[in-house]
Amino acid sequence: MSGLLHSIRKRLPGKQWAVISVPYIWMLLFFAIPLAIAFKISFSQAAIAMPPYTPVFDWVDGHLNLNLNPKNYLYLINDSLYVNAYLSSIKIAVISTLLCLLIGYPMAYAIARMDPATRNIVLMLVVLPSWTSFLIRIYAWIGILKNNGLLNNVLMWAGVIDEPLAIMHTPIAVYIGIVYAYLPFMILPLYANLVKLDLRLLEAASDLGAKPWKAFLKITLPLSKAGIIAGSMLVLIPAVGEFVIPEMLGGPETLMIGRVLWQEFFNNRDWPVASAVSIVMLLLLMFPIMIFHKSQAKEMESKLV
Amino acid sequence: MNQQSSEKNAVSNSSASATQDGYLVIENVRKLFDDFVAVDNVSLNIRKGEIFALLGASGCGKSTLLRMLAGFEKPSAGRIILDGQVLNNIAPYDQSVNMMFQSYALFPHMTVEQNVAFGPKQKNMPKAEVARRVEEMLALVQMESMAKRKPHQLSGGQQQRVALARAVATSPKLLLLDEPMAALDKKLRSQMQIELVNIVERLNVTCIMVTHDQEEAMTMAHRVAVMDAGKIRQIGTPDEIYEQPSCRYTAGFIGSVNMFEGKVEEDEKDYVTIRTPDLDTPIYVGHGITGYDGMNAAFAIRPEKVHISKEQPEQKYNKVQGVIEEIAYFGSHSVYHVRLASGAKVLCNFVNMRRWDSENYTWNDKVWLSWDDSAGVVLTS
Repeated sequence: MSGLLHSIRKRLPGKQWAVISVPYIWMLLFFAIPLAIAFKISFSQAAIAMPPYTPVFDWVDGHLNLNLNPKNYLYLINDSLYVNAYLSSIKIAVISTLLCLLIGYPMAYAIARMDPATRNIVLMLVVLPSWTSFLIRIYAWIGILKNNGLLNNVLMWAGVIDEPLAIMHTPIAVYIGIVYAYLPFMILPLYANLVKLDLRLLEAASDLGAKPWKAFLKITLPLSKAGIIAGSMLVLIPAVGEFVIPEMLGGPETLMIGRVLWQEFFNNRDWPVASAVSIVMLLLLMFPIMIFHKSQAKEMESKLV
Repeated sequence: MNQQSSEKNAVSNSSASATQDGYLVIENVRKLFDDFVAVDNVSLNIRKGEIFALLGASGCGKSTLLRMLAGFEKPSAGRIILDGQVLNNIAPYDQSVNMMFQSYALFPHMTVEQNVAFGPKQKNMPKAEVARRVEEMLALVQMESMAKRKPHQLSGGQQQRVALARAVATSPKLLLLDEPMAALDKKLRSQMQIELVNIVERLNVTCIMVTHDQEEAMTMAHRVAVMDAGKIRQIGTPDEIYEQPSCRYTAGFIGSVNMFEGKVEEDEKDYVTIRTPDLDTPIYVGHGITGYDGMNAAFAIRPEKVHISKEQPEQKYNKVQGVIEEIAYFGSHSVYHVRLASGAKVLCNFVNMRRWDSENYTWNDKVWLSWDDSAGVVLTS
């Protein structure tokens, strides 16, 4: 009898299961279910109702009726607005990521080579701006970039330019904003990677005849690949869907999918199309996320051996 | 700065005298880190093809000296001349000096093959030549079958072989070994010591190794320099260093030793006697010294040269009675710690020639210790 009880208990989830389940429940509630709802809405049609779309499932004469409507997705493909918005979002995100990498790599490298006391202070300075509101920091950039803003005033006062540079409401302002906002996300993983680099490897390379820049290309750069990928993903993925920065710093010609999404949802009240836009965006971002995971898994694997 | 330019001018002088004997010349080299003197006026003269060991405790400056030879550190003063060329101001990547690192420092993202090919590629060898060279080196260290593996897939001994192959792949003029056996376990160590020497001798490359392990230095090197506090205390072949230490430091550092402090009583041409409070009669030593009557001196004798017996030996000199206090049984031999009446402790090795020989002596036995007049040395510094 007790043997039977024991074997039943063994098959039931144990206490450790309760601990493990917390993140899964969190994922289910705040990620999987909302996503499923968005996915469902993307197959319905806009309607003047509450909520503003037609139901996908309904009961007619005692059996379930499924009204799948792929029109929203076809609409996205046929209307060049959406395709252009996607392409331009990806372009802006990719260029911003490369800029972040170009600026962030030397910074992370320099921080990793500092002595530990100053290193922590500098790392703190990198993270410090994130302690104020994102919105306020982007607002501050308006003050810097606008025609009679800080930057133009300083440059005109110094006599570098005669008339103000038109940066505000251009793609350049969007790039400045994105690079500024996401730079810490590039620096931190790169730093974490570069600080672990065994300096004796560079000595060995130098000893074997590699000049410093060659040692960097052959040793440091390949060994920091995981940091480069991690940093790039952390910048690229949120930058594609970025809404606040293009809205506040960009002009009418900066087309980004985040803004389109906002307009569909709030201005046009077309929830199904808005849902379809976000589902497609998610699918597009799946590729870089998968690359990221694969590289991480590969790195873990090589460490385990 | 002036000094450096004058050093360059002096190259021609030394290259003329760069014979077989002075292949690597280290001249009055000093290295200061702030106020700390890491290497203090070291001069060495190393022959071509020689395996030379720098032996010393950690912090004695041996690693700093090695790093200066590799070019990672610049000497504060003095010159390093390799094959007639002053190395002081040449960057590590421009010298023909390669190092095998203590941690091996293999490139983790490259295969064995790519690791070995790294040096030849930097020297801009043609592709076919690089491939031939890599093959040759991997054959030399018997690692051909592992060519496609990554370093983390290799054992410690295999990693060392790859590190060696990588270091010699460009046929350097000077090979540096930094604590070559430190990362290996004891059994593998003695096997690799012999193998490494064989490979280095086959390549006929001049080799300087740094170690804190005297056994390693004695088995591997042709000559050994004992270093302490940035200075070289003694240079010699392993047997010279062991049998004829020149100072108390070397005698104490290499192997174990019994030392009797005392004063020179008779200083004759072919013998010396030393009066020490530990023995009733003066110690008679069958070699002359450069010294004078009454000077402070120490008599040093190795434990294996001390004879132990229950009966009083017949010789007149060099015997003393004591009590066995500790016994260390090693199987092949036993070490007896004998307390003398003066309070001094003397170690004595006894080879267990027959089985159960070790049972002849036990704790608290009263024993006689004695030695030949040629068994020990007099140390005056």
